[in-house]
Amino acid sequence: MSVPNTAPAGARPTTGGPIIVVRDLRKRYGSLTAVDGVSFEVAEGEVFGILGPNGAGKTTTLEMIEGMRPIDGGSATIDGVDVRSDPREVKRRIGIQLQASAFFDELTLLELLDLFGRLYGHAVDAHALLGDVELSDKARSQVRTLSGGQKQRFSIASALVNDPRVLFLDEPTTGLDPQARRHLWSLVRTIRDRGHTVVLTTHYMEEAEELCDRVAIMDGGRIIALDTPDALVEQLLGRGFTKAWVERLANLEDVFIDLTGHQLREGE
Amino acid sequence: MGPRFALWWALFTASVKMFVRNRLALFFSLFLPLLVMLIFGVLNFEGSTSVDLGIVDEANSDGSAAFRSALAETDYLDITEGQRADELAELEKGDRDFVLVIPADFAPTLEGETGLVAFASTADPSQAQVGRGLLQQAVGGAIAAATGLPIPSGGFSAPLAFEAVTSRDLGYIDFLVPGVVGMTVMQLGLFGVAFGFVQLKRTGALRRLFATPTSPAYFLSAQVASRVVLGYVQVAILIGIGIWFGLQMFGSWLVLAAIVGLGFMIFLAVGYGIAGWAKNEDQAAPVANIISLPMLFLSGVFFPRDAMPEVLRGITGFMPLTYVNEALRGVMNDGAGFTDLGPQLLGMVVWAVIAFTVAVLLFKWE
Repeated sequence: MSVPNTAPAGARPTTGGPIIVVRDLRKRYGSLTAVDGVSFEVAEGEVFGILGPNGAGKTTTLEMIEGMRPIDGGSATIDGVDVRSDPREVKRRIGIQLQASAFFDELTLLELLDLFGRLYGHAVDAHALLGDVELSDKARSQVRTLSGGQKQRFSIASALVNDPRVLFLDEPTTGLDPQARRHLWSLVRTIRDRGHTVVLTTHYMEEAEELCDRVAIMDGGRIIALDTPDALVEQLLGRGFTKAWVERLANLEDVFIDLTGHQLREGE
Repeated sequence: MGPRFALWWALFTASVKMFVRNRLALFFSLFLPLLVMLIFGVLNFEGSTSVDLGIVDEANSDGSAAFRSALAETDYLDITEGQRADELAELEKGDRDFVLVIPADFAPTLEGETGLVAFASTADPSQAQVGRGLLQQAVGGAIAAATGLPIPSGGFSAPLAFEAVTSRDLGYIDFLVPGVVGMTVMQLGLFGVAFGFVQLKRTGALRRLFATPTSPAYFLSAQVASRVVLGYVQVAILIGIGIWFGLQMFGSWLVLAAIVGLGFMIFLAVGYGIAGWAKNEDQAAPVANIISLPMLFLSGVFFPRDAMPEVLRGITGFMPLTYVNEALRGVMNDGAGFTDLGPQLLGMVVWAVIAFTVAVLLFKWE
């Protein structure tokens, strides 16, 4: 926790310490406890996954850390900034891709990225950002004309306008076909390689295995397991778990990708 | 230009772009009032090629009767006959161009004075000269016909004394345009805002803004400003078309602009109140309609409220659009200033305060 909270967004201190520290986070809605004492840390440069069934409290946890939802109890610190006391400064340092990402319908992708840049007080190279997410040819289109995968990629581009320290992705591949999903995975890896820390939620275990350095599994508002995907599998096997059938070296998705190729299908 | 203003300006221009590119919003808030006005304007287009003449016959003699029947043959005269006081009142209201008084000692003659006096309306100075010429010619012809003598070569122009009477020439267009302006102010505030904003709420586009460090108040104020500017543009277009149809403006443009601005405050507050309360368009639509429809028909947009039953007129007199319409007609038709419009302005301010308070209480960002 030696990261100075005045570090410019472009500088990347290589302390290797945690960039996110969450302590005993809580959220209640009336009698329902949505998040019940969640604690974890995310190291800088890590891809951190939050898994769990619907209603486990993943999105609520994420939104409290992002400063999008009031924190009832506990604390969250991002890049040395306390979310509760300065949510605006936190938002300045992070990029958020919401679960249902909608934009203003009447503006083009270029205009939207320009506008979002201004909301952070940044001048943005919108063309370069669109190039990064392979949407250059859609620069003058409106969001509603994009395919599902293109929308998610644009949403990620919009979350990168401020060159964030941490990028939050809430179920980024839900509803995408296998090709678009794989394409998005490679985009997330590219973002990670550029030095952005990534926190994502997902329902897809293979996605978590592919992308995440560590995962937290949530249920009933609590974290019930937190480790690397490999270690979690080892722990399960160590408890004497055996599958009812022997895993083959390929599954149906491999067949599907083999037959239909990696090529994106995003009709014009 | 500070960075905060640059940000606000970016949101403002984005908001204008969004509105202008949204064809549905454009149709309902810009094109529809225009269409309504064009339709009503064309339907009630008053052909002004004839001269409205009132005749007061104080002679009631054979001579005056012959004169009147000769005058009645003139095809460009639209003649009504009546008592002096009634006809002069009509003249002042703007329903006559001239009132011709035939004196008690009238006798048609081609020589000397006839004693005829024409009271002339000052309503339409541009047409007054032509009107006088036409009347003079008609009166001359009628006197000649009444005497039974041939018209002297070189023509005959009856000695006719004109007296100007201050009067106002108000057509339906003068009634209609302030009403349509009022309607536009209401529609733009209610529908131009309620639906767009609720949609941003429902789709989550508004939430996406909250993910940035910029306060949503910037977005809201930029959007309000863009709507007000677009509203003034639209009002200017409507009045411009109205003028083309013969609309007259007797008052101050500044007073008019102030009334329009106050009207926007009322109905934008109502619009944001609905949008802030509703979760989706299905909730917003009926409320916006329940609020706007009664006013559309009972606040004197298209037809004068005089025709309503007393009780209904009393109740609907308190509706915000009624105050707006009365104030607009006051300034445009009667040249009223701020002091003359005290009751209407007070009513509007009270409604603005009520609407704003309710909007703040009901408003939810999500």
